[in-house]
This record gives sequence, structure tokens and C-alpha cells, in this order.
Amino acid sequence: MDQFVGQILPYITVAIFLGGITWRIWRWMIPRIVHNITLAPFPSSWFTAIVLMLWQALSFWNLLKFDRPLWVGAWPMHIALLNIVGGHVVGFYTLGLQFHIIAPLIITEHMSEVASDFLGTFFGLVFLAALLYLLYRRFAVEKVKAVSSASDYLHLVLLIAIAALGNYMRLVPEVHMTYAEVREFLAGLFLFSPEPLPENVLFVWKFFLVQVLMIVFPFSKLMHAFGFFWERWIVNRPYKEAPLGLPNAKLQIQK
Amino acid sequence: MSEARKPQLVSDPHNLWKGSTGLRQAKRAKAELFQTLGVRVVPDDQKVEMAIKYLDKYRKEVRSFVMAMESCVKCGLCAENCHTYLGTGDPNNIPANRADLIRKVYKRYFTVQGRLFGSLVGAEDLTLDMLEKWYSYFYQCSECRRCGHVCPFGIDTCEVTFVGRQILFNLGIAPQLHTATGKAILETGNHMGLTKPGIEDTLEFLTEEIEEQYGWPIEFPVDKPDSDILYVPSSADFMLNPDTLKGAARFFQYVGANWTISSKIAEAGNFGYLSDQNRVQKELVNRAISEAVKLGCKKIVWGECGHGWRAAKMYIPTKSDYPDVDRIPITHIHDEVVEYIKAGALKLDKGRNPFSVTLHDPCNYVRACGLCDNMRIIMNAVVEDFREMHPCREQNFCCGGGSGILFDDPDMYQFRIEASLKKAEQIRATGAQVLCAPCSICKAQFYPMVKEHKLGVQVKGLIDLVGRALVFPDDQFEDDMEL
Repeated sequence: MDQFVGQILPYITVAIFLGGITWRIWRWMIPRIVHNITLAPFPSSWFTAIVLMLWQALSFWNLLKFDRPLWVGAWPMHIALLNIVGGHVVGFYTLGLQFHIIAPLIITEHMSEVASDFLGTFFGLVFLAALLYLLYRRFAVEKVKAVSSASDYLHLVLLIAIAALGNYMRLVPEVHMTYAEVREFLAGLFLFSPEPLPENVLFVWKFFLVQVLMIVFPFSKLMHAFGFFWERWIVNRPYKEAPLGLPNAKLQIQK
Repeated sequence: MSEARKPQLVSDPHNLWKGSTGLRQAKRAKAELFQTLGVRVVPDDQKVEMAIKYLDKYRKEVRSFVMAMESCVKCGLCAENCHTYLGTGDPNNIPANRADLIRKVYKRYFTVQGRLFGSLVGAEDLTLDMLEKWYSYFYQCSECRRCGHVCPFGIDTCEVTFVGRQILFNLGIAPQLHTATGKAILETGNHMGLTKPGIEDTLEFLTEEIEEQYGWPIEFPVDKPDSDILYVPSSADFMLNPDTLKGAARFFQYVGANWTISSKIAEAGNFGYLSDQNRVQKELVNRAISEAVKLGCKKIVWGECGHGWRAAKMYIPTKSDYPDVDRIPITHIHDEVVEYIKAGALKLDKGRNPFSVTLHDPCNYVRACGLCDNMRIIMNAVVEDFREMHPCREQNFCCGGGSGILFDDPDMYQFRIEASLKKAEQIRATGAQVLCAPCSICKAQFYPMVKEHKLGVQVKGLIDLVGRALVFPDDQFEDDMEL
């Protein structure tokens, strides 16, 4: 079983993950944008439209403005997630020396490791807390409960399980995994000579659940990460107004 | 009020109105009526199969619909931003849930997760019951786009409602009101079924009214050849909002425009856009351009109508069959008035509008057509005491009648009262004497609703107020407004 989860499944997972995303976006691209349905006030150019889009993506502006209690959970959750994903990539790749590599003269190797540890722990806890809060909202807030279906809860539960395992391994010394151990295992996968899974049940479970998440991703609402841009591309686009002025009217405006 | 049941806003959780009478549905058009529109009503045993076929068709054609199906994360933000949900408390009126009525079916037939996991991901088979729900809830949505405006993704439930209504129309399910209006559009080119003699009669009468009010008459040209401007008024203006027509006439007279109204397209609105976006909508789209060409017009100026202006501004360019659509600019009368106001070219007397006025932002003007600022420029130029309601501008709420859901059958009339609750609260808070609602549907909704909610305001259009404030040398202004 360990061999399947650690050495065979990852390749299937990545194939489904990348293939699924491509397939789903392919399907979005088949229908056309038929009419101009841009939301007013209209951006004046594509540049403004894209800035607007990115600003929405970065700040969750609409949530902040129209539903503060939701923003309090959703924004930190996504920012933490972004940092966690990035942290996993650079942290394991550089063994926690990423900050030292960026500024070798100012930041020592030790400082970088401490910073990496601290940020990992911080965002890990923020992520978990925010997810629990969002799950609580699905149960407790009438209007959110009214729009939820089973999969909405399950996505959250899956993320919570992954985050909880990650935090547990980070905070409890007995089950802690070093960057080096994980890197060795991942390197094997990337170089197509898979190593056996490290002997840590929690790690195996976490590794498995992350793969479940990646398999589910392209076939669920989690695709909103991409859907956001495809949707906003339709509703935030520049509009050129028709020229004003009444032809041949006696009273003409001098321009 | 038609019943003792007193509606309250859902923000007070103890006063949730639970739809105890079951599905609320407007009176349906009969098969014979559909036949006049060239649509054969699909028999019940084939409805489901046909509906899925149409759904498949539209999902391959309309990206805005597909993205609305695919991007929602069910965050619940839209709930309290929908006046229909706020007024009725019916969970199916939460925009995310309303869209889910189609999304469940879409998932079931067109997604991997829906085919494999069914109810776990909220997928459902299409049934006749579900079609009944579509009919009920897609005609409770006023397509105001407020949910699209607040949605973090910009998901426009309006696009879902459009597709839902279109599929139903294709099957032969639509309200009597929309279908009968569609028939009038095909026959006469306007919603009210006005004929040329009728139009000319009304306008002659309005000429006399102008003379009474201002001391001198203004003629309304109808089908005048070699005109430069084609003015497209809402047909409701001939019956319900004559002041809007008078205001437009005074403006065109003031600037000395060579303008005309066409009896073939005396309609700024477009009920086709709200029920059948193919044949019926196209009828008016094509009439606008062909009439402009026939009468030699170099420009089309649109009158006061919310959905109609959106349908014209955003849909005529992509829907018209005539090549001249690219050569005849179409603008809104508000935008034209603002050009003159900005240049200081109009003599306006605020004193002729001495009352306190609040502005209801028609949904389609502010969220789809970018008229926010211009309406305020006019407002500040023509009235003495302009009071904003809250929220205003792009965040303003719908009147509750948007997308033509102005049904008169008792259950739906009660619905209109509930759907306008939020609006009533906003208006009441301003304490204004006059409610400016520059849209024919808003006006038609407000005339009865200000009475139902005991708001004690007069409903006026914006061009009405411009017409009053414009000062001609010959004017002997006599106020006909009683507050």
C-alpha cells in the first residue's frame, strides 16, 4: 500500500491534476462571450480592467466591502494557503535557506531557517483556524447553510485534515519531519526514481490526502482559482462609449 | 394590501416569510398565444428531454452562462444583497440557490463529478417539478445584477436567469404578460400595441398639455422623413408617463434638433430581451436600425427605460442584422442632456422643481450602462433639494419589478410588495417628496408600490424634471404638480 501511495499514485495524481485542469479550461473556452456584459463603472482600457481584476483577486475587495465576517475568514485563509504552497516549494527545495539565498550578506543560514520555521508555523495555524471558522459558518450562519451542499463541507473537512496533520507534524517533536527527509523523497519522485515513503504514518496520510485533494481539484468548485479570471474576463472589460452630440441641432457644443 | 399577511425584511429573522402557499407562479400564456409567436408548446412528456437539449446547446454557446455554472463557491455573500431574498425570505431566492436550480441539472448531465457522485455534489435529474421551480424562481428574479456586482467572482445570475427563461420559452412556458407583450412587439413594434393613429392622437393631446402648462405648444414629429435624430421613447410613456415625453420634446426643441419619433419603433424597452432573446428581441433590435435608415436619421437617442437601454446599448451592436448598426451611434437622452449641461448651454431654473427629490438608480442604468454620474449631474442641475438614498449608485437596490415582473395576479402582486420592501425602506429614510425613477418599469412598479408601502411620494422621471426646469423665453410656467 505504501508503495502504491508513495511511488505509483503520485504520477497518476499529477496526470489527473494537470490533465483535468486543462480539460476543464478547454471546455470553458468552447462557448463565446456573446454580448458585452461588462459591469459598470466600465474600465477605460484593458490595463485598468486587469488591474481591477488583480486588485479583486489580491484583496477580496467585494468580500471586504459587502460581507466583512466572511472576509475575516476567507482572506487570511487564501493568503495563508498561498504562502504555504510557496513555502512548501522553496522550503523543501532550499532546505529552509530561501531567505539566506535571497540576501546572503544580511541573512545568515540560521536566521533563514528560523524565519522559515516561524512563517511555516504561523501560516499553518492561520490556515487551520480560518478553515475551522469557515466550516463553522457553513453550519451556523443561516444564509450560508442554505446554499451549502455536502461537497462544500467535505472540501473544507479535507483541507482541515491536511492542515491539521501538517501543523501536528510541525509542532510535535516526536513526529516531526526534517526538510531533508522530505526533500529526498520528493526528489526521487521528480527524478522518476521514486524512493520509499519515509516511515511516518502521519506523513503517509498527509501525502495521501494531498493527492486526494489534487485529484478532486479539477472536478470541483476548487477550480474557482482559475474560474475567477475567466469569469472576470467577461464582466470586467473596457467599453467605448458612442460619440455624443446631436447632429445638425441648432445649438451645438463647441469642443 | 391584498392580504393580511404583512411582509417584513428578512434582516429581522423573526419575520421570515415562508412561502407557505407553495410555488409562486405568474399566470401562463396559453398555447394559442405561443402559436402567434411561432412557438409550438412542447408536450409534457417531451419537456424534460427538450430542456436538456436546449441546456446543452446554450452551454456550448454562452460563456457567461457556463462560467456562472462553474465558478460559484457558495460563499453566501449574495443572499443579503438580493432584494427578492430580503423581501420574501425564500431560500431559493438567494441568487446562488436560484442559479443552483439550473446548476444541479447542469452538473448532473454535463460534469464528471455530477455524473459520478450525484447528490454528494448537489447534482439532480431534471424533472417536470424542477421545470415548475424554474418557472417560479426565474420570474421572481428581476435580473438586476446586484448579485453580480457584489459577487467576488462577478458571477452574473442575470445570465443564468436569461438562459432559464429562454429554455422555458422554447418549451412554451412563459408568463402571459411577457408573451402577450411579445405578440404586441411583433405586430406593432411596441409593448402597448399602439398604432400610428393612436400615437399621433396621444402626441397631439400632449402638445395641448404643454401649451396649457408652459403657455405655448411643441409639436411631436412622427415618422418625419429626413430627420437627423430618431428618438425612441418607451411606449409606456404614451399612457402612464406623459411627462417624460413632454420633457424630451422640450429638450429637443430647446437645442433645435431635427428629430422624430417612429411609429414602427415607439418602444425603448424590449420584453424579448426578458423572455425570448431570439425572435422577439431581434424584432425591436432590427426595427430600430431599419427605421433610422428609412427616416434618414444619423443618430438614435434612447428614451428612459432601464432594461431597454441595456438591451439597446449592449445588445443592438451584437444582435442587429443590418450593416448600418456600425454607422449609426445610439446614445441615451441623459448622456446628451449632460453634454449640454456641462457646456453650460442650457438655461435651467431649479426653482421650477422646488421639492425634495430622491433618485432611484435603475439597475440597468447603473450596473450595466454606466449612467451613475450623469444622472446626478442632471439631478443637481435641475432640482433644488436632491437627497441620495442609501445605498445608492451601483449599490442601489432594484425597485422589485425589474425584468418586467409586473404581474397583477394576487399571489404575484403580493410578491411585488415583498420584493419592493427594501426599496420602500430606502425611500422612506430620505424623507423626500418626489421619487425620481427614470425607467418605465420602475415607474410602473412604483405607481402602485408607493401606495402599498404608504410612502406618500410622487413618482417622476428624470427627463420630466429637465423639461420643467428648461427655460424658454416664451414660457409662462404653471405648475401642474400637486404634492
